[in-house]
Amino acid sequence: MMSRKTNRCATASAALASIVLILGGYTATHAEEAGKPDYAKMSPEALAEHLILESGSFDLDQPAQEGGTARDRMIQDNLQKLCSKVRNKPNAEQAGQIIAAARASIQYPEGEIPLGDWKKGGDLAWGGFGYRLAHNPDDHSTRDPSGNCYNCHALSPQRTGGDLGPSLRGYGIIRGNTEATRRFVYEMIYNPHAYFPCTHMPRMGAKGLLSQEAIADIMAYLLHPESPVNQ
Amino acid sequence: MIRHALLVLAVTIGVPAHADPSQNPVEVLKELINSVDSAYLTQSDQNLMMMEDNPALWTVEEGKALFHAQRGPKNVSLETCDFGMGPGKLEGAYAAMPRYFKDTGKVMDLETRLVHCMTTIQGFPADDPAVKQRHGSDTDHMKLQSYITAQSNGMPWNPLMDHPLEKAMRDAGEVIFYRRAGSLDMSCQTCHGTTGKRIRASVLPDVNVPQEWTKAISWPAFRVGHQETRSSQHRLRGCYWQMRQAGPVAGSPATIAVLSFWTDMARGQPAILPDMKR
Ligand code: HEC
Ligand code: HEC
Repeated sequence: MMSRKTNRCATASAALASIVLILGGYTATHAEEAGKPDYAKMSPEALAEHLILESGSFDLDQPAQEGGTARDRMIQDNLQKLCSKVRNKPNAEQAGQIIAAARASIQYPEGEIPLGDWKKGGDLAWGGFGYRLAHNPDDHSTRDPSGNCYNCHALSPQRTGGDLGPSLRGYGIIRGNTEATRRFVYEMIYNPHAYFPCTHMPRMGAKGLLSQEAIADIMAYLLHPESPVNQ
Repeated sequence: MIRHALLVLAVTIGVPAHADPSQNPVEVLKELINSVDSAYLTQSDQNLMMMEDNPALWTVEEGKALFHAQRGPKNVSLETCDFGMGPGKLEGAYAAMPRYFKDTGKVMDLETRLVHCMTTIQGFPADDPAVKQRHGSDTDHMKLQSYITAQSNGMPWNPLMDHPLEKAMRDAGEVIFYRRAGSLDMSCQTCHGTTGKRIRASVLPDVNVPQEWTKAISWPAFRVGHQETRSSQHRLRGCYWQMRQAGPVAGSPATIAVLSFWTDMARGQPAILPDMKR
């Protein structure tokens, strides 16, 4: 809701900027002739919003896998907006607000937090399928979306994972497969901004990218004693 | 061996001695590697070896023939096309793009400028395959782009920022670069904002290290994994796809804004054209 409002606001201020220009007796450029706002008079932020959402620069009408269109993907929510603005370095007050909002977003399964099937979880953790659009959109009717964890984390010793995030090798051995660990890992997968405001890690639960079952499977892959992660 | 001979041929024709586009791009890269400690630049010894015989050098040669050939409904060459340095002047032109063009009143990247010249000077309809097909070593676009960009090999990136629109597009491009959105909350910064980090097994270039960033933005490049010569616009589309954001339209203002910012971030560092990438 908020993001749509600000978006309209940016468009309005762009429109206002061009009115001011016309009144100011400004010599017309090609851009203006075409009825477009004068890019040079807009703030970088307003111009960026205009270019992304109003200039035909993206295929915004492409249907998104979760419903809606690619346009919805490009409109920022509050968290994305704030973290972009501060380039992922929120001050203490902003961090507090982000953490509180993230905590409030987390929905828990009833009863204890379960571990699923670590084999399935391994496939999900090592998969990059899901939610991609553009020239090669993922068809979710053929396969469930996966977790992308391997892009950023080392997981099992057999394969090379990324290092944008810390290594999770031996995670279950190091952290112990306790209720407290399970809760922490669940919350990290669901919305990691509850612990690391403006982290690079995606909100797999809060954004509905992974099902409860998939989260349980991935958790088992990290924590189950028989999982390759803990060998 | 034959390739080697061709390479020598490719790089000795029509290039004045004072500039260095005639250097093999791999030498430009090696000098960079010696100037900075970078895991990104040094991640593939194999690519460094293969680059001596980069297949993209053939694409450059084909582009040269195409550029000077009389083509299109008007049966003229591209020799009167102005890439910013004056009609037909290619040396160093690409290193200063995207830039503002008075005749269109717009900031244009190489690809859109080429489309402009092919449609206006040569009279190609916009939906002609010569204009429309952008991807793959066999397309006119990749050939022409490879030839034109090779005339900036070894030259420092130097986007002008003289015209207010050039600055406006660059600054909007910076905002777009850092703008998180999409399913995974990613921006370009997520993967290109720290030094020496890996996504999967690939070491990623850091936008804040100009010596790395110049290689990152040196396109066209032969992509070994695709066995094709690829463009800047192709790379951009791939990264938007990974970010789970909307697909960018080639030549659109937002893409030109991003290219304006990314070129500015490599300012002063030598272009490696054509390059070879994973
Ligand atoms: C885009 C990169 C990225 C992806 C994808 C990602 N993570 Fe992370 N993860 C991080 C970063 C970065 C951190 C460290 C937190 C910080 O400093 O921001 C982290 C931290 C964690 C931690 C806490 C580690 C600790 O210190 O105890 C866990 C657990 C974790 N991630 C699990 C996962 C799982 C499971 C997935 C896949 C569903 C995943 N991550 C996907 C980047 C990522
Ligand atoms: C999820 C991580 C990720 C994000 C986010 C991302 N990229 Fe990339 N980028 C990559 C990967 C992976 C490569 C290819 C590296 C390889 O294959 O070795 C790459 C390559 C590049 C390259 C060429 C460097 C090379 O060596 O191939 C440029 C330039 C680039 N990206 C720019 C961008 C821009 C601009 C954005 C934002 C619009 C962006 N990237 C967002 C992961 C990312």
